[in-house]
Amino acid sequence: MTATMFIAVLGLAAVAFLLSRQRAYRIAGANLSALHSRPAYHGTYSLLWVLVVGWGLLLALSVASSVLIEANLSARIAEALPDAPEIERQLVLSDAVAIAEGALPSKTGDLRAEIAARHTSLQAWRNWAIVILVSAGALLATAATWSQVALGWRARNRAEKIIRLILMSMAGIAILTTIGIVLSLIFETLNFFSNIGWRIDKFLFGTTWSPLSGVHEGKLDPDKVGAVPLFAGTLLITLIAMLVAVPVGLFAAIYLSEFASRNVRSTVKPLLEILAGIPTVVYGFFAAITVAPAIRGAGEAIGLSVASESALAAGVVMGIMIIPFISSLSDDVINAVPQSLRDGSYGLGANKSETIRQVVLPAALPGIVSAVLLGVSRAVGETMIVVMAAGQGANLTANPLEAVTTVTVQIVMLITGDTEATTAAGPAFTLGFTLFCVTLAMNIIALRIVRRYRELYD
Amino acid sequence: MQMSDEIKISARDVNVHYGDTHAIKDVDVDVLDKMVTAFIGPSGCGKSTFLRCINRMNDTIDVARVDGTITLDGEDIYARDVDPVQLRAKVGMVFQKPNPFPKSIYDNVAYGPRIHGMARNKADLDEIVEKSLRRAALWDEAKDRLAQPGTGLSGGQQQRLCIARAVATQPEVLLMDEPCSALDPIATGQIEDLIDELRKNFSVIIVTHSMQQAARVSQKTAFFHLGNLVEYGDTDHIFTNPEDPRTESYITGRIG
Ligand SMILES: Nc1ncnc2c1ncn2[C@@H]1O[C@H](COP(=O)(O)OP(=O)(O)OP(=O)(O)O)[C@@H](O)[C@H]1O
Ligand SMILES: [Mg+2]
Repeated sequence: MTATMFIAVLGLAAVAFLLSRQRAYRIAGANLSALHSRPAYHGTYSLLWVLVVGWGLLLALSVASSVLIEANLSARIAEALPDAPEIERQLVLSDAVAIAEGALPSKTGDLRAEIAARHTSLQAWRNWAIVILVSAGALLATAATWSQVALGWRARNRAEKIIRLILMSMAGIAILTTIGIVLSLIFETLNFFSNIGWRIDKFLFGTTWSPLSGVHEGKLDPDKVGAVPLFAGTLLITLIAMLVAVPVGLFAAIYLSEFASRNVRSTVKPLLEILAGIPTVVYGFFAAITVAPAIRGAGEAIGLSVASESALAAGVVMGIMIIPFISSLSDDVINAVPQSLRDGSYGLGANKSETIRQVVLPAALPGIVSAVLLGVSRAVGETMIVVMAAGQGANLTANPLEAVTTVTVQIVMLITGDTEATTAAGPAFTLGFTLFCVTLAMNIIALRIVRRYRELYD
Repeated sequence: MQMSDEIKISARDVNVHYGDTHAIKDVDVDVLDKMVTAFIGPSGCGKSTFLRCINRMNDTIDVARVDGTITLDGEDIYARDVDPVQLRAKVGMVFQKPNPFPKSIYDNVAYGPRIHGMARNKADLDEIVEKSLRRAALWDEAKDRLAQPGTGLSGGQQQRLCIARAVATQPEVLLMDEPCSALDPIATGQIEDLIDELRKNFSVIIVTHSMQQAARVSQKTAFFHLGNLVEYGDTDHIFTNPEDPRTESYITGRIG
């Protein structure tokens, strides 16, 4: 029903468009330039109004009537079962709706049958009401806008204004959801801090991470929510990943943009980008099943003890994952360095390596730096690989051969663990908020640098 | 005016193709040492292209193909054993569009001398930079802002910076592609003085769209049209009585 009306409004809007446009043509006669707005704009103006009124009414009426019907049915149930608990009334209602819609109810009975019948009749009323009101509204909009068509009618400005409002409300939705998410992060974080007696210092600088150890007594122990081991683990793995990704990615980019022939470039670049398309969960089990044992084997061969889950394995694999980001972004910025700068350098008798080192790379440096920063924020936020390959123990160590844990891993553990979600949510949200702040800062810095770099050449 | 008749650059049967575009057609020309040669001709006739053949800058363009022989001091610059990098140290170039490096003014000028190890110490380098900037008539404007980026200069200042940069490496031949296109008459006069001074030691080839400039600074003029070298000879001769009707119509302003 709703879908039918949705399409009907669309059809009516198209008709309104044609009618108004037609009228504009007729009013203008041979002298089209006498119209303030071109006929198509008169049509668009009508079309927009019909859509806004029609779809708007449809949405508003559907929601409102559902609420009303439910309220009506609930009132009837409450009347029939004055002593039943709320949950049972709910059950009756959902069974009645199921009966009315021909689905399987959990139980049947007189009351349920009665409510179902009532539901059916109310639905029929409601459908008619919607059809009539929506059609009336849309027709009214058609007629009103059609009769407004005149030589001096500023349909274009008005249509553009409506479109602007529509775009604005879409942007508003996007912004509001973001704000909502951030606000809920902040709220949960504050909540968590108040639960540990505002010992924010314990969270930021404490070295013992075992946040759920006290939950059975119903409180969080500020001495056990020290996140330093997680920060340290994240840092260590990020460092290893960048040590792998930056040199490989950067040199690959330099090779691709400055040395490779066109053929090599056109095959290698997409191949590198395939790396970026591999889901991180694949990298994760690759790290856990292939790389970690290999590293342990190699370590044992030279007499080192390596944990079966190690920061090194996770970091190296994460580095491999980040290579395509760095190489492809750097390749783009190196390519964006104007050829005239290279020519200038060659024209002064510089050779290729001098030109690359002294002209191309310095010119591309801001872009490369921001590519690296984006890589870092990927590494910090990466979850799958570390969950599988880095371990879970919150060890405070700088030894890459031991198991470490990261902020993201602990969030996963908290949320997927046995503890009730509401208890575990506090520390998880707080860690998430910290992570959010770090990546946000890094992305802002990266974007700043990129913008400055753009200004240099544009 | 003393003229040596020593040939510095000699081109024979030079053809340049950019993919399917035939940009330079069978050009023969002898450029004399210690003399200024002007290349003139309508836009798109191949002046820049021919200029770029002389220091092998066309090597950096994938689609460009150069045939024929060009010799510098009698040696074929397209021979297999010639290193274009060394060639370009001898044959400097000022490009049609100013292309300062995104570095400081000082580092822009010092770029060539540093690469070629021309300065033994900082004082030497300072001297080269100052001298080059003075010769390019930029010193007075730039002396207080040597550490600022060269890209922050005005268009005309950038053009002079690029001239200073090219002069700083002391090339034997200087190729200048419309070096005064963005300059006011005063700076143009200073650059023309510089060209006149360079002529004592180097040969200079200058591409220009200004007939007056060609007449003022050059001793030899070459007129290009649609990729052909139509006429080449003494500047006085070309401007007073051109032999080819195309040259005549160009310099009197009827084609171009
Ligand atoms: N990189 C290139 N790729 C393809 N074609 C080119 C390239 N450079 C120049 N051409 C072509 O070669 C011809 C000669 O160009 P050239 O730049 O030498 O002209 P010009 O005489 O310097 O003109 P102007 O006075 O406008 O600078 C033109 O037809 C141009 O389109
Ligand atoms: Mg040119």
